[in-house]
Parts: sequence; structure tokens; C-alpha cells
Amino acid sequence: MSTLDDKNEISRRSFLEGTGVALLVAAEAAPLANAQHEAIPPVPRTAIRLTVNGKEHRVEAEDRWTLAELLRDHLMLTGTKIGCDRGECGACTVLMDGKPVYSCSQLAVWMDGRSIQTVEGLSQGEKLDPLQKSFMEHDAPQCGFCTSGQLMSAKALLSRNPHPTADQVQGALTGNLCRCSNYNRYVEATVAATAATPAMAHVSEDMAGEKMARLKTVGHATPRIDALERVSGKATYTNDVHLPGMLYARVLRSPHPHARIRSIDVSKAAAMPGVKAILTHENCQVVWGAGSVAGGVQYNDPIKKITQQRRYAFNNPVRFIGEPVAAVAAVDRHLAEEALRHIEVDYEVLPFVLDPEEALKPSAVQIWPQGNLSLNAQNEAKPIGVKRGNIQDGFAASDHVFEDRYSTTFVHNSQMEPRTSVAHWEGDKLTVHTPTGGIANCRHDMARDLGIPDENVRVVCQYMGGNFGNKNQNQDADLIAAMLAKRTGAPVKLELSRKEDYIGMHGRWPTIQYYKVGVSNDGALKAIQLRGYSGMGPYRKNSGAIGGIEIYQCPNVETAIHPVYTNKTVSGNFRGPEFPQGHFGIQSMMDDVAYKMKMDPVEFVLKNMTRKAGDQDEYTNYSLDECIHRGMAAFDWKKRWRPQPGSDPGPVKRGVGFSFLAFRSGLGHSNAVIDVNSKGNYKVHVGVTDVGAGAKTTMGLIAAEALDVPLSKVEVVWGDTDRCPYSVGESGSRTTIMTGTAVVEAARELKRKIAEKGLPKGEDILVGSAGPNPTVEGGKVRSSFGAHFVEVEVDAEVGRVRVVRYLAVHECGRIMNPLTAVAQIKGAATMGIGMALHEELLYDPQHGQALTAGYYGHRVLTHRDAPNVEVMFIENDDGYGPFGAKSMGEASKIPAVAAVGNAIFNAIGKRMKDLPITRDKILGVMA
Amino acid sequence: MKTFSNANPRDLPQALTMIKSAQAGGRSFVIAGGGSDLLGMVKERIVEPDVLISLRAVRGLDQVAQAGGGVNIGGLITLDTLSQHPIIRRQYTVLAEAAESVATPQIRNVGTLAGNVCQRPWCWYYRNGFKCYKAGGNTCYSINGENQFHAIFGGGPSFIVHPSDTAPALVALDAKFRIVGPSGERTVMAADFFTLPQKDAAKENVLANDEVLASILLPAPRAGTRSTYHKVLDREAWTHAVVSAAVVLEMDGETCRSARVVLGGVAPIPWRVPDAEKLLEGQRITAELAAKAGEAAIAGAKPLRKNAYKLPLTKTVVRRTVEGLAKLA
Repeated sequence: MSTLDDKNEISRRSFLEGTGVALLVAAEAAPLANAQHEAIPPVPRTAIRLTVNGKEHRVEAEDRWTLAELLRDHLMLTGTKIGCDRGECGACTVLMDGKPVYSCSQLAVWMDGRSIQTVEGLSQGEKLDPLQKSFMEHDAPQCGFCTSGQLMSAKALLSRNPHPTADQVQGALTGNLCRCSNYNRYVEATVAATAATPAMAHVSEDMAGEKMARLKTVGHATPRIDALERVSGKATYTNDVHLPGMLYARVLRSPHPHARIRSIDVSKAAAMPGVKAILTHENCQVVWGAGSVAGGVQYNDPIKKITQQRRYAFNNPVRFIGEPVAAVAAVDRHLAEEALRHIEVDYEVLPFVLDPEEALKPSAVQIWPQGNLSLNAQNEAKPIGVKRGNIQDGFAASDHVFEDRYSTTFVHNSQMEPRTSVAHWEGDKLTVHTPTGGIANCRHDMARDLGIPDENVRVVCQYMGGNFGNKNQNQDADLIAAMLAKRTGAPVKLELSRKEDYIGMHGRWPTIQYYKVGVSNDGALKAIQLRGYSGMGPYRKNSGAIGGIEIYQCPNVETAIHPVYTNKTVSGNFRGPEFPQGHFGIQSMMDDVAYKMKMDPVEFVLKNMTRKAGDQDEYTNYSLDECIHRGMAAFDWKKRWRPQPGSDPGPVKRGVGFSFLAFRSGLGHSNAVIDVNSKGNYKVHVGVTDVGAGAKTTMGLIAAEALDVPLSKVEVVWGDTDRCPYSVGESGSRTTIMTGTAVVEAARELKRKIAEKGLPKGEDILVGSAGPNPTVEGGKVRSSFGAHFVEVEVDAEVGRVRVVRYLAVHECGRIMNPLTAVAQIKGAATMGIGMALHEELLYDPQHGQALTAGYYGHRVLTHRDAPNVEVMFIENDDGYGPFGAKSMGEASKIPAVAAVGNAIFNAIGKRMKDLPITRDKILGVMA
Repeated sequence: MKTFSNANPRDLPQALTMIKSAQAGGRSFVIAGGGSDLLGMVKERIVEPDVLISLRAVRGLDQVAQAGGGVNIGGLITLDTLSQHPIIRRQYTVLAEAAESVATPQIRNVGTLAGNVCQRPWCWYYRNGFKCYKAGGNTCYSINGENQFHAIFGGGPSFIVHPSDTAPALVALDAKFRIVGPSGERTVMAADFFTLPQKDAAKENVLANDEVLASILLPAPRAGTRSTYHKVLDREAWTHAVVSAAVVLEMDGETCRSARVVLGGVAPIPWRVPDAEKLLEGQRITAELAAKAGEAAIAGAKPLRKNAYKLPLTKTVVRRTVEGLAKLA
């Protein structure tokens, strides 16, 4: 067999076509020096002919290849994405003889004689399909991972129905999930694609609130600078990276929620031809620091040194179903999976506990020797809490005291792109391609975990398919891929299945919340007490806090929140980490108190909401009153609110609910570097990857504004630690504020240099850089504010809840790009509706196994579930941040869950205290 | 997935030859229609065949043909084609609506009628690899576990619910199933095709593993017949039925001559409720009568710990479906 030219994908592609036997080697892309001499047992293959994007291909396909596999790995058409590999998400949608199908659920050998169209076949050369243009103009793709599939379904619809209604579009696209939940935009873009006068998404730039001076570039609705890549299949996500000689890796995971590994025998798997390396806890003792960061603080060297509860890449004992036990690298992904079956593990099965309150009982199994109350960074086992005033005095001074219990469940981030990591070494230098919202943190974590200098690690992420908090740090998958690459001397691609992504990564911590609230006769809060329990899984990857009480002013507050180890999948960051679940609890509780006090819940909030942060520190600006009053007026709250909840006659009842938020908008350290060449072209180097919110474009807009040049003169360089300075990770809704401020500062420095020296000559460049770490003056606190108003329709006889109207009012400082900002608010609110009504990673109590891992089971919302979310911004400039920008991405998720719950109460007159508010629970209370 | 070989027979005789050859060679095999769900189960090793016999390339079994006043529907017709077919839409509305309610456009574009009828259960224990009755074991994990979507009728020893939307419609239409296998052909009534777990807990129907559901015959609709399928989903799209009702009414003016009420999502088979049907027959359908039919539909239900909500739900679904259908001009 000939040696392949793996350096050039184009030549590989032409080589593949029409060469039956040779294809087999080329296809697997794994010609290790010795691989060709191994007798890998042949697998069944079939010669097929199919047309792809108008071109005929003759392929000798393995019978087990899916169509998606053939397209992506062998025809190198990577625009088709694999989100679930199970026909549950739609990211892989292609047209088969003109009809949309899931290419993950079709075998390639079923395609003999068929004609396939992929996203790459939509444009005619450089000429885009009108749908692609419309998707760009409407900012339909956020993370972009589902976009190819949405495009193909929309294409099929328009072919048979050129002028569909919005309802018809929803129906045609229902098989295409979007976890960014940009459903409104996908529908608008499809409807507009064939309209007589295609228009941009309807985004008002006339923001309510104080009239601020308009800026030249910032503040104008602008399509993303990388929109073309996102609608053409050209955006390179981690799994689209193919390296010469690359091996595939798979992970063996624990089938027991708690077990000690007595022994592992890998000999049979290791003897399989084509298997290149196997890792277990016996031969790989790498500590995954960020996997157990002792309470949500940033993992660092001192913590690494003192922590008593280390999480390794492979642990013994194993403490949850899905915990890695072994990993295999082999020349083929199917072979790697097969090899897992030949690893023999002898487990001593141990008792387990799933519920955090149960876990604190003396009789519960101890998951760690130090007990089940989770240790913090100082190795202390104690509840998280605040104390203000005197809680007993507060209750004594109250005219009414109310107590209740609320609970929230484990919900998964469910980002569309499943975890993949591609690692390779050149000498001592490791390169990791991985979906991460923080390339700098990821690099630092990898270096620390592997015991090598930072400069020996390069982290690359050009595009990522959503984050929502579970791709901020390095992942065990990155460490495992790196270790396998080290052992084998070859690049290794580790792919997680959708199910592994659900049970092997992390989601939002479930909580149990006991509230006791005291009020005076006039409805003023006197005391709030919270005793809470958060289920952390067996490692404390985040704080386990329960947030929300701080948005009320109250003289006497006492909270004690217990982060508890359990034998479920690990809990960690998920959009607004501790707030959506905490806000559901406290804002349901307060809503209930308002009704019991015979007050309008909005009036109750206006009386009791925060005026100063923690009741003591001034905000840099304060707009809660304005958000609420404007929202009330636009929503017509007074007219729609039922003073008597559940009073609609008949089984179909409407009701409205309200909630509000104040969310941190702090300043902090980040870096940016800008250079300019002799032609006046600028390059902005920032360590962002753009999780989907539009950071690349936002940085470009900020740079153009600060440099006073058009956006077209600015190029943004992102997503590669070798080409970008340290920038803060894309978590905590802080990229625009922190990295944006760095861009402004770097631009200022560059402009000063240009003023001094003029533009550079010839090949020279001039560079401006900045790494500011600004602070707010006078002990003030920055916060973004907002209020949500929801109307639901509950069919009380069948337990169905539909959101019929949704208004989100937000003050996030100055809006950098109204086009992307509106989509952020819409998407997060829609996610919140899903958390309120459907989502749950449900566990079987007797086996400790998740039963709903995957999009189908977890009930991620579809096009049909997503209401139109109206967005209203109130703009302000408090003098901080880039041109006054404040936090946004997480803000809209935070109050959404509570608002939906409160609306259900107004409709049916029953308080739903446990998430998700499913049909069975509604029919239960209505019985 | 386990390594397997795929076979693409061009017609049924060729498929049967391939089946016999696999049997003779001692190789395990499965037969795929559209194959979407089966391939998923193969990937997850819930099914581990040596040979996958795909009927995708078989010709001639994807048509609706008029036959003796009724229609003969090829088992390999896609759910999308079926739901759009003018005769089905007009004369067998319940079937068109049921087919249209399945999953997503992408699945309906390849999923076949026979495949939908023969789909394996979507019980989350079975689908998550538990060694239950359906997987050849001798336990039903739902009994003491999470059973909110499980059976309230006909359960034991397994408590799965039948996953098909078209199955209740076909039972309500008095369909006949033509089954083809190596030993020949046979025809069974839809109602006799589906079997309770007490007969064989590992199976949902009478089809042997080497047989193919080749076609489905629907009798000519009698004058005044109208029908509909009402499905309750767990989100607004793309779940199996929490509860569904396939209702066929033969009306004479305002009077119901005969009725079929068949439920989905409540039992291991499409669950016909003769008591509700009898209440309706010979009567003028009023709101009160529809309500009584709803009550009759849940008589004898045995809910598990977490699915008692299906009782009021079923009652409402039957009442509303009957009432809505009777009101149609």
C-alpha cells in the first residue's frame, strides 16, 4: 500500500474517490509506522455510488459507517455536525433526494443510488443561497453548531413552499434543536429568505431610557464578523480537526454509582491489533485540578498542594455512574469502542446515596473519609452563609411568618457540541484542540495538571458549539487525550457520545430550599432565613451556593447552605450558576407571601427589592424601578394580573407572573493586543473563542469604535493561546466588560503611538497592548438589572402549560450590538422556560443511574415549545466598562424560571414548589 | 456498536433468502425498515446483530393501492408519504394524523409504517441497558422505580407502554396485517397482532424474528365514518404519546352507529376500550355521553406509584376527542 499524503486534505480527498481498496487506509487516517503491519481483522464493506452536492462518488464504505461518518470523515464535508448521533437533535440533517434526514441515523450503505445535499452544497460557488444570507442578517446562528441542520430543513421547506408562515416553519424545523434557543430568529430568517424585500432582523436601536450620545460603530445592529463561516459549514469546530496519523479514543465508564476497583485486566484489549494504548488509574495518576476546585474558587497551586480530596483523571474508588475507569486509543473509533468491551474490571460494589439531605444523615455511606459535607478550599466542612442583623429579633418583630420548602433538579447544560478533545505533542510541546470558553485558563490548568510549563501548552479553539458553563476549564477528556497522545506518540481524538456528555461532564446542582420569611402588616420584609442543600455529586466542582436572597432588602437575614457530596453526576457551572434555582425558590416564596398578604406581587417587590447591594453598598447606577415600571406598562400587568389566582372559568386558565433580577457586573483583569500595518489595517488579538454570544464581533466593534475606524479595517484574532494574550474566560458574563475594556485601553495606547510616530512603514507594524485591572470607585457595586413578565395558559384538565406571552426588560448598560444582545436575552429566557417546565436528569433511585441522559429524555425545548420573547433594553452608561457595557449573557436565564412558576400560580391558584413543573405534578394538584 | 454486515435486498424474496442464509449460518440478524431507531439501538448495543437486513432498497412496498373498496398499504411506505396521501387523509384521517404526529420530519421521511408499528418500547430502563424482560431478563424495573410513563392497563410482568402512534389508529380501523416469512404468508387482524407481556414478556407482537410486516389492509370506510387521532406529548413536539386516543365514529346524522376507541401510551399494546364504544353506539353523542365514555375508558385501570395522573388525563382525552369528532360536520 502506498504511503498517504496526509498533509493535504484536498489531495487526500481526490485520492479517496474511486479507489476502493486504498480508501480503507486513507479513511481511517491512522497510518502509524507499524499499523500497516498489523493484521486488523477485516470488517464488512460494500461498494456504493452516491451523489453528494451534485458530484458522483464511488465509495467502498464500511457497513457500519453512518452517512454522517462518511460525509465528515471520508468525504471531508465537516459542515454536517454530530450532536447526538442518535436522531434526537438534528445537527446532522442533510437532504436525501431532497428530503431532510438525520445523517447520523442512516447507514452509508443505505445510500446507494441516492442523492445527498449538505450545507456545503447550498451556495453556488461564492454566491450564497438566499437562506444563508437571511440567516446571517438575522443572526440566526449563535454558537452555530445546529445551523447546518436548520438550514437544510429550511431549504427543503422552501423548495416545496416558497412562502411559508411562521407556523409552517416551526413545523418543518421541529426536528432541529437549538440549545442557544435562538428559535425566534431561525423562524424569522426562514420566513424572510424569500420575502420580496429581505430585511435584517427587526431590532430597534432606539433604546428606552436615558438618551445617550450615539456612537459610530458600537450600538448599531451588526451581523457577526464570522457569520459567513457559520452558515456555510466552514467554521472549524474541534471534531472537524483531522490530523495525519490520528488515533481515536474512547472511555470506559463506571456502571456503578460507588465501587472500589479491585483489579483491572486490560491484557485482552491491549492484544487487539490496532489498539495503541490503554490508560487506567494504575498507569495514569494525573490529578484533574479543575474537576474538583474546592468550592468554586479558581484552582491554583496552593489549592493543588493542600487539597485533601483529589480528583484524578481516573479514580479509585469510582463515585458515580459515568466516571472514567479506562481509556483506549486505537486506529479506528469503532475499534476503540470494541476494545473497551475487552477490559475486565472487578468491582467491589459499595452503598451509594443520591439525595443531599439523605447524605448528611449519620447512617449514610461516607463518600469521602471527611464526610459528605463538602470541603471548601481551606479543607473546612461548613455551610455557606451570610448573617445580617439578628434573625430571631426579625421574626419577633414580624406580624406574619411564613415557611415553605422548594426544590430544583439536576439539569444539564445540553450544549449542542458534545465534548471532543484532539491532542498532539511535538517534542515537549502539547497542542490541545478543545471546545473551551477560556483558552488561557485551560492552558494554565493543563500545564499545572501535567506538571509542565505554561509555554509548553497550546490550546486552540476556533469555534465551539455552546458552553453555558460546562466548558470553562480544562476537562478530564483533555487530560486523557493528552496522556494517550504522549503514550502513543500520535495525535489522539477523544470523542464523547451524547450520553457520556450528559453523565460524564456536569450540570446544574439540584437544591432543596427551606425558607422562613417574616413580614410586617404593611408588607415590609423583616426577616429571611434559608436552610439549603445542594447536591454536588462526589466532587465539588463549584460552590453549591443558592443565590437570590440578596436582591431583597431586609434587616435580618440568615442563610446556611450545605453543599453535599452524592453519587450522582458532578454538579458545576451552568448559566448563572447558583441563581436560576435560587431565584425560583426565593421569588416563588416571595410571590406566595405577597398573595397571602393580599398584595400585588409586583407592588410587594417594589416595596422590598434591593436598593443597595447587600443593603449597604451603592450601585454605580440603579434601574430596577425603571425596568419594572416600563415592563408593567408594556405588558399591561395591571389588566392581565388576576387578583384571585385560578379564577378563570373553565379548564383552560390564563395567568401572569413576574420576577426580577440584579446580577453582578464586576470589573476585572483581561488583556488585548492590537497592531496596525502600513495600510492602516488593524488586528485585535484577544483570547476569546466565542461560546456563541458573539464575543469576536463585539471585540471588533469595540476596537473599531475606540480606534475610530470602520469595522472593515479591523480583523480579530482569537482562539489560540499561541496567537492571543491572556484574556478572561467566557464565563460569568464578563468578556464584554473585562476583555472589552482591555481592547479600549490597547486601542488608546496604539492611537497614542500612531499620533507620535505615524503609521508604520513597509512591513513594520505598530503594537498597542493593555492588561487593565480596573476597579469601581468608592466601594460601589456594578450590577445589571431586569424584570420578566410572563403569561401562561394552563389546560388544567390535561396539565399542559403554554407560555403565550413573554416580555424581558433588561438594563445591561450600553448595548454593544443590539442584534446579538437581543438574541442572548431571548435564548436565555427560553432556556429558563425549559428548566421550569420540562428538564431533568432523572435518576433511578435503586441503581443510581440517570434515565433521561440525552436530548429526548432531558426534554430540551423544540421550535414548537419556544414562544416569541419580546426584549426591551433600557440603556445606561455608569462610566465603567467599555462605553458603559454591563453583564448580559446569563442575566436573562436567572429570573425566567421563577416568572413561569409564578404565572402558573396566577393561572391555577396552586403553588408549584418542585421543578420541573410537569404535567403529572399539575394534574396531581388539580385532582 | 458491534461489527455487523449490512444486506440490501431488492425485493421480499431476496430478503427471505438472506434471512434463511443467516439462519443457516447461525448468524443473528435484524430486519430494518427506515432503520433510524434500530440503528440507534445497534449503536448502544441494545441490539447486537451479525447481519442487518435493510429493506430500504425493496421496491413496490411503499404504495397505497385501492383494493376491494379499501386500501392496501405497503409496509415500507414512509410515515411522511402516508400522512400526505389524499386517500388516507380523507378516508382514514386517524391514520394520517397518527403518522403525522410521529417524532420529527427527518424521522418521518425515512421511518416506515411497518417500522413504526413494530418499534421496540421506549421505556427508559430498556433503553438504558437494564436487563429487563424486554432485554431478555426477568424483571421489570419500572415497578419499584420511575414509572410516570408506564402502563395503567394490561401491565405485568412488564409495564412498558406501546410506543407506536399508528398502531392505535390501525386497531381502530380494523386493519389486517399481511405477514411474510420463510414459511409463507399469513394475515392477522391488527387487534390480534399486538400481544400482552403475559403472553411473552420479551415481545410486543406475534411477528417472528424472521418475518416481515409486508402490508396493511384497511377495509372500505362505511358511510358517515369520521376519525381522528389525539396525542398528548411531554413537550410540544417530538415525544412518544403520554396518552393518545384513536377514535373512529360511524355516524348516522347525529347518532353514532358504531365506535372504535383505542388508546395509546397507557398499555403494552394499543388499548381498545369496548365499554366506551358500547356507550356511544346507537346514541346521539352529547357532552354528557362523551364524558361518560371518558369515565368508561379508565374503568379497571391499575396505576403504578407515579402514573395515576394518566387516569384524569385519559378521561379528558377520550371525552374531548369523542366530543370534538362528533361535532365535525
